[in-house]
Amino acid sequence: MLLGIDVGGTFTDAVVMEGATLLAAAKRPTSRDNLLDGVLLAIDDVLAGLDASRISRVSLSTTIVTNALVEGKAEQAALLMLPGPGMNFRGLLPVEPYWLSGYVDHRGREVSRPQRAEIQAACKELNRDLYAVAGKFSVRNPVLERQVADWVQADAAPAHISLSFQVSGSLNLWRRANSAYYNAAVWRHYGKFADAVEAALRQRHIQAPVYILKADGGTLPLNAARNLPVEAVFTGPAASVLGIMALSQPTGEAVSLDIGGTTTDIALWRDGLPLFAQRGAMITGYPTSVQAFRLKSLGIGGDSWVRRQSGNLIIGPERKGSAMAAGGPVPTLSDAMIVAGCLKFGDYGRAAEAMNIVAAEGETAAMAARTVLNQAAGQIVGAIRDMIAEQAAEPVYRVDDIVNQEPLRPEMIIGIGGAAPGLVSLVAGAFGTGCEIPESAAVANAIGAAAAKPTIDITFRADTAQGYFTVAELGLKEKLPARNLSREQAREMAAGYLARRAAQAGIPGGETTIVYEEEFNIVRGFSTTGKIITCRMQLKTGVLTVIKGREGMV
Amino acid sequence: MKANTLGLVFFPAFDWALTPTHPERQERLLYTRDQIVEEGLLDLPAIREYKPRLAESKDADRVHIGVPNIASLITNAHLVSAGGAIVAAEAVMRREVKRSFALVRPPGHHAMRVVHGTRGFCTINIEAVMVEYLRKHYGLRRIAIIDTDVHHGDGTQDIFYHDPDTLFISFHQDGRTLYPGSGFPEELGSPGAFASTVNLPLPPGTTDEGLHYVLDNLIVPMLDDFQPELVINSAGQDNHYSDPLANMAITAQGYAKLAEKLKADIAVLEGGYSIEDALPYVNVGIILAMAGLDYSHVVEPNIAECPRQSAGNTAAIERLVTNWRRVWTARDSLRREALAKAGDFWQRRRQIYYDDSGISEQQQESVRLCPKCQGYLTVATEAEGRSLGYQSAFAAVIGRESCPQCRRDAYDAVAKAQKDKTHQHFYVQDKQQDVMIKL
Repeated sequence: MLLGIDVGGTFTDAVVMEGATLLAAAKRPTSRDNLLDGVLLAIDDVLAGLDASRISRVSLSTTIVTNALVEGKAEQAALLMLPGPGMNFRGLLPVEPYWLSGYVDHRGREVSRPQRAEIQAACKELNRDLYAVAGKFSVRNPVLERQVADWVQADAAPAHISLSFQVSGSLNLWRRANSAYYNAAVWRHYGKFADAVEAALRQRHIQAPVYILKADGGTLPLNAARNLPVEAVFTGPAASVLGIMALSQPTGEAVSLDIGGTTTDIALWRDGLPLFAQRGAMITGYPTSVQAFRLKSLGIGGDSWVRRQSGNLIIGPERKGSAMAAGGPVPTLSDAMIVAGCLKFGDYGRAAEAMNIVAAEGETAAMAARTVLNQAAGQIVGAIRDMIAEQAAEPVYRVDDIVNQEPLRPEMIIGIGGAAPGLVSLVAGAFGTGCEIPESAAVANAIGAAAAKPTIDITFRADTAQGYFTVAELGLKEKLPARNLSREQAREMAAGYLARRAAQAGIPGGETTIVYEEEFNIVRGFSTTGKIITCRMQLKTGVLTVIKGREGMV
Repeated sequence: MKANTLGLVFFPAFDWALTPTHPERQERLLYTRDQIVEEGLLDLPAIREYKPRLAESKDADRVHIGVPNIASLITNAHLVSAGGAIVAAEAVMRREVKRSFALVRPPGHHAMRVVHGTRGFCTINIEAVMVEYLRKHYGLRRIAIIDTDVHHGDGTQDIFYHDPDTLFISFHQDGRTLYPGSGFPEELGSPGAFASTVNLPLPPGTTDEGLHYVLDNLIVPMLDDFQPELVINSAGQDNHYSDPLANMAITAQGYAKLAEKLKADIAVLEGGYSIEDALPYVNVGIILAMAGLDYSHVVEPNIAECPRQSAGNTAAIERLVTNWRRVWTARDSLRREALAKAGDFWQRRRQIYYDDSGISEQQQESVRLCPKCQGYLTVATEAEGRSLGYQSAFAAVIGRESCPQCRRDAYDAVAKAQKDKTHQHFYVQDKQQDVMIKL
């Protein structure tokens, strides 16, 4: 049995799944002051009548990290930067860093070293308990960041030091520095939460391994995430996307819509997988290396305020309350759905009254409801088209990709969320595709959390001219076994190190996928002196099980 | 538009090479990509990255006379590179960004009007294709192109040699010491476009000091005088002290300051083959300078290897500037003299060498110096090469403002050549109709 929990802004949902069956689901208000209270209530609720000892895995999507960062509850960490030559990062980071000398160049060659005395002075001046270290091209050679960390450990013995190459194996010092800083800033916060979760589950005799959802839609063991807590930011949308995967198993090219009370979250799908954002997430205005799905949030949902301004029909993005049918103050999109027969709740008469308020001259309530739904669907269609166009306009660096890349052509529209029924078919109509509104969509996020597979990645890079390879996330820089390396051999080595990193994190193996690969000949003086091969490999994002049926009640 | 935004078209063409070990190979912008990404430049609010598009062969036909046709001489990579320059220019014209930089390859500034093959790594002239696109679609007239590549921009010079509306300034390592062996001060445009071509051959070993002396005392004042509607920088980076194909001594700081002073609306990458020691730093410097950001921290790891400028070079550069200032000041009267001396037609005969394609071309140009308009041009060309064999063509170029008489004369000249079977291929490039007619 899989236990999944999703902590949302309003509700904390819990589900128990076995095989392809949803056994039970529960919904409790989110306890904002102490998230764990609501989590435990939902767990107790969902496990009522079930044998807790049969739970084989617990998986949690929580706002603990997001809240800490967004609400400014994170701690202050010290950031040590080795910026090397180039960009002046002053004023571009969430904290004023302490600047150190020494750097590594683009081939991973150590050009100069930081000085022992600099670190001593830094620790004395900063006097913090949490540190982050970020150095230019540290993903090509971790030695300088390591050296700084060793000296900081010796001088300040802080509770935690985040190193940028551990937080992300990708190029982009700016993002790595921000990520490492936030990672350190939420480190203790997350650790306390993990402790409390573990204790509470022990009390309930749940011995199963506990996982936490990351922004990239994969899970990490609760303990392994203690060193990478920043990855657990913004998991709500990821849980929703994973929930769609478990409930609907999209194939080919598709668009999914999570139409809730105030927003519609749009995701694009290709070959059964949601597309990732090309760049990392923004956290309180700073770009980070935290990977996330490609999502667009549009201010249209069931509670969107519908009104006329100078004769023009306006829908959202403001919300004034629930639907008039449910006692709300103003006409909403849900009222239109009730009148159109797509939704059944509240007082139909009040919903019709709401439509009469927004009807154009000569329009009946029913006609007005259609007008409202068509316009809302049109806005969603426009946002989808923009999103597809934005994706198609993203730069690529190969001639072949310019010539042959086609924009996404959706073949299916999938909708979840309370307000999906009235709009999804209209959106599908505009694209001439089929549509699907899976069952159990009300707890899709908790299902997504429960079913999300563990993911972890590594960036393998071999430079045969220099005769070494690196695995950035593991902080490895070692000699290559032979002078030559084929792409296949590189993949094999990458797979080996991915397995090693997974094992270190306590993750069982799984299907791997190459998320990025490139190979260049190094030519010096008109002869080939070696190759640079990069292979970024990941345990594939996905779901452990798909939901085909359900028992019990929500 | 934000005050100082830079549009960046970055297209390293990671799947294109002239030949596997050629300087123009997949690896060329690899380390530049690494540096740009590592610095986080693509995430800065002041920089907006654009995806290039494929230019059409029609865009190339506006500039070139490809024999037998341009499409047969180029690959998609050339169309992406030219399309990248066009995208960069349109971002500026639409005021989405203040300036833009097409950091693209393959390069173009050695590609001349007539194209039989590839020379100096170039097949079509991407700046010229962009300029004529802008003139056609945005009605621009006066444009200045400053070529800061170490090699003389002989292709761009050739294309605009008879065009008084295009000020072409090229500084480069002295042609007596480097490919393509041209770009001397005496090459200053045909009489109708006198002093709209400015060549500044600099002695090998010229440093930032010498370069900025030329900029401050000659190039920037010339731009102020010319008052272009648009300034374009053919931004080659092989003046760098570490470049393996040349012998100059410019640094990343020198290039960044140059970009800051030129204030080019659009920069387009040309050469630069010190792919590890120079390009990552020079490109970051240029990008930061064009985006109005602090570039003072951009310093090459091996800056100590940059030589100092000799006293002899300083003196030679000062002489060059003094001489050119004299010509520039007197350019109107000198133009009138040149026109009077030339009569109705100005002619030149040249031999052009295509190093990459192994082709030798004999070319004769004849420019009608019309008192009513900018005249028209006829070109007769014969090319021979190992794999090419022999091919010849005769073409006329009708300008945007050629008068009806010149227009008729141009068509008649080609019709007569065709009737006499003087060559194998016959073309009229008619800029008024925006067509390339193959007769």
